[in-house]
Amino acid sequence: MCMVVSEGTFDKAYMPLIMGQTAAASGTEVHVFYTFFGTKLVTKKANPKLPGMYRLFTGMFRNRMQKVGIAGYQEFLKQCQELGVNFYACSTTMSLMGVKNEDLLPGVKLLGAAAFLKLASESQTTLFIG
Amino acid sequence: MQKDATLDTKGLMCPMPIVQLAKKVKDLKSGQVLELLADDVGAKEDVPAWCSRTGNQLVGTETEGTLLKFYIKVK
Repeated sequence: MCMVVSEGTFDKAYMPLIMGQTAAASGTEVHVFYTFFGTKLVTKKANPKLPGMYRLFTGMFRNRMQKVGIAGYQEFLKQCQELGVNFYACSTTMSLMGVKNEDLLPGVKLLGAAAFLKLASESQTTLFIG
Repeated sequence: MQKDATLDTKGLMCPMPIVQLAKKVKDLKSGQVLELLADDVGAKEDVPAWCSRTGNQLVGTETEGTLLKFYIKVK
């Protein structure tokens, strides 16, 4: 299963992790490719906020999610990696977004479009989260 | 229904019941039956879907009010 994430807000950040974690727990190989505003989501400092005015309610959302067992964002990323979810950052948009190699979380691989398309063509499901 | 282990996921919502179920099943032996307790409405469809995807057998389901009970025979 492949996913493309092009936005960096809270909702777009959690959805691929929920889908990816579930797929990995079902024995499916998972590849998540982060591009444009998404590249910031796989950095060590990533702490996504809800979009627009809803930004103010991010903390409330996070608390509610924690109550039903969904981890904080960084912890959630780690849980996904432990289950074998593969994370990739788009090499081109990283420089555009001001994300450096050393900012990326350990285990995040750099990938270009051609390599991702190869993964996608070998995968049964591809979701675009934008 | 006869069971070898129970996993209680009450209060947890998607995807946590499935993630914990997948972890728990790894600790069990083939042929053992796991009882899964869940109150996430999504689990009603998620658990059968997970079972058919992973090849574990759903041998029974029960409902008590909002509590769902699944019996899963490990592959």
